[in-house]
Amino acid sequence: MTLTAFSPPPPGTDFDDLRQEVRTFLAEELADFPPEKRAKSWNGFSRDFSRKLAQRGWVGMTFPKEYGGHARNALERYVVSEELLAAGAPVISHWIADRQSGPLILAKGTDDQKRRIVPRIAAGELCFCIGMSEPDSGSDLAATRTMATEVDGGFRINGTKVWTTYAHVADYMILFCRTGKSDDRHGGMSQFLVDLKATDNIQITPIIDLGGEHHFNQVVFDDTFLPSDALLGGKGEGWSQVMSELAFERSGPERFLSSFALIEELIRLLRDDATEAQQAEIGRLSAHLMVLRQMSRSVAGMLNEGENPSLQAAIVKDLGALFEQDIPRLARSLVSRPAVPGGSDSYAAVLAYTELAVPSFSLRGGTREILRGIIARGLGLR
Amino acid sequence: MESMIHDMAERLFRDHVTHRLREKAASGHCPEALWTQIEEAGLTMALVPENAGGFGVPPAEALGLLRIAGAHGLPLPLAETLIANAVLATANMALPGGRLTIAEGEALRLERRGKRVHASGHLTLVPFARWANRIVTIAVLDGTDHVLSLPVKVLSFAPAQDLAGMPRDDIKLDHTLAETDAVPLPRPMGGMRRLGALIRSLATAGAMETILEMSIQYANDRVQFGRPIGKFQAIQHNLATMAGETAASRTAAEMAAGSYDTPAFALTVAAAKARAGEAAEKVGALAHQIHGAIGYTQEHTLHHFTKRIWGWRDDFGTELDWTRELGRAALSSPHDTFWHFITDSAAKGAPA
Repeated sequence: MTLTAFSPPPPGTDFDDLRQEVRTFLAEELADFPPEKRAKSWNGFSRDFSRKLAQRGWVGMTFPKEYGGHARNALERYVVSEELLAAGAPVISHWIADRQSGPLILAKGTDDQKRRIVPRIAAGELCFCIGMSEPDSGSDLAATRTMATEVDGGFRINGTKVWTTYAHVADYMILFCRTGKSDDRHGGMSQFLVDLKATDNIQITPIIDLGGEHHFNQVVFDDTFLPSDALLGGKGEGWSQVMSELAFERSGPERFLSSFALIEELIRLLRDDATEAQQAEIGRLSAHLMVLRQMSRSVAGMLNEGENPSLQAAIVKDLGALFEQDIPRLARSLVSRPAVPGGSDSYAAVLAYTELAVPSFSLRGGTREILRGIIARGLGLR
Repeated sequence: MESMIHDMAERLFRDHVTHRLREKAASGHCPEALWTQIEEAGLTMALVPENAGGFGVPPAEALGLLRIAGAHGLPLPLAETLIANAVLATANMALPGGRLTIAEGEALRLERRGKRVHASGHLTLVPFARWANRIVTIAVLDGTDHVLSLPVKVLSFAPAQDLAGMPRDDIKLDHTLAETDAVPLPRPMGGMRRLGALIRSLATAGAMETILEMSIQYANDRVQFGRPIGKFQAIQHNLATMAGETAASRTAAEMAAGSYDTPAFALTVAAAKARAGEAAEKVGALAHQIHGAIGYTQEHTLHHFTKRIWGWRDDFGTELDWTRELGRAALSSPHDTFWHFITDSAAKGAPA
């Protein structure tokens, strides 16, 4: 059964030297970075950190050299990604661009777009956000209403995007919207490269999450003019372009390491004096983690070969979210220590942060229900 | 993976391992004729090194046969014989041919009697013992792992069975072995419990793939409320969950098989057996939920697979045994962080 077969990552792809270099770098850079900040995982924002990482050649690793990249393979990038996540490094400033927007521009962009944008992503200078969801279009992406109307020299955009992570600081948005009518539910969609710093008539307002954090935004396009060269890829090709991004978006180690700071805190407490029951729970957690990592690396290997493992990616994300959402429960079952937001005890503070963060893990990047529908379709149902 | 030996096994099992054959086996009838074909096809020798009479199949591919056997619910000790032959060959012992089985020997007492070795103690839940010519086990003598090859006909045993009705016999051992039947292993292989856990992990993954396929088929065929039940989202999501659990178990088992004979073997097997056992519970339960009452009958073939995956949870260490071992390793690891344990020890073996 092909859907349940995750071919092992190619041999010799441990890249121990690279891993060691990254660890040394992180030990220095994050020496004073406290656990409660590490708990933010890939939601932590630091332009400075992203720039330093890029100086080491660890942003845009898989991009071609002519666009400022480093022509390394997806499994080398994987090593860097998982080390960053395990350390809880603040990576969001470059993460989305490095993971999917850069590869999208390289695959579908014009030569001018590639030359203008991609080297700056690889330099860690650009933060990207993704304009997909709308007030009436969440899981049902095809219900997108934001409209781009062709005008002299470009397009006029009208509509509202929501849940746009880090739009308030981002330099660019990859906007998904309508450019025409189509009988096909998935037709008439396009993607645009929006320069948020240089475009008028875009209103960005914060949406504060239940933990008091500001990641989300509402982004209103009010007759916003975009020049013709903002169109990214083919007009009307938006749906298939978005679908091909998903394997990148859904299969990475950020889909199961989001609670990793809490795991490290928990293990620190149990280390010297664990009961057999505690050992067994940590063993179960280890087994799950080892297997998720192997599955995720397998998908990276498939991506490296130019395959489109979007179904396998959906499986990784579904299992990964279950795993990372389960960590607070696991911690509570092993240690009786109340969660205290912002508390001075790092376990208590990390537990509090993580408990409030986990509900989002099976919403972002495709809800659990959407993923399971995709998997079911892959199994031959519907 | 393209594999001639896999294709051959797939054809052989597809043609011969029928519902009726599994039924007869569960009622105590050993399918001798099928065994002859399996042996003639060379499947039992797949993990034997080339220099010992094998045919040079990479271990991961040879072990892949066991997933296929699991997918067909093969009621014969192919997995046990494959491992027994590999262990005998590693110890440079004669390969007796025929059906063999393996037993956990960790609790045996061995002592020297002149040039011979005397073994005493219990071998419990030995799969297929009464259908086998020999039981191969690994036990410690003078601090070194020794391979013991025990002729079944001289042993007395209490017959029992597993959940699927396959022989699982208890043996009381008090036996002086022939000189050639107790030989030190030149290098450790991880003990029979670990090798046994590997084969059950692979077979469980294969059986779960079949259970998943049967459940998809049933969901597409069975009509209620005017449409196939597979159109209902609740059923679809249960099938998606089954697919995830099955994929995770297969990946885990193949990761362990891929680390056969490497330092990573110890912890990858622990992870694979623990993951397979956990998945078996969920996948079995959901498969029966989807199949409804018909799947709960003797006449339907589903139970041959679900009973196997449930029974295999208890062979060669339960989830609790293996998660404890893995957890102890994680919590006592010399690494600075748990992450380093996962990337270094768990993936590559504990530091020497």
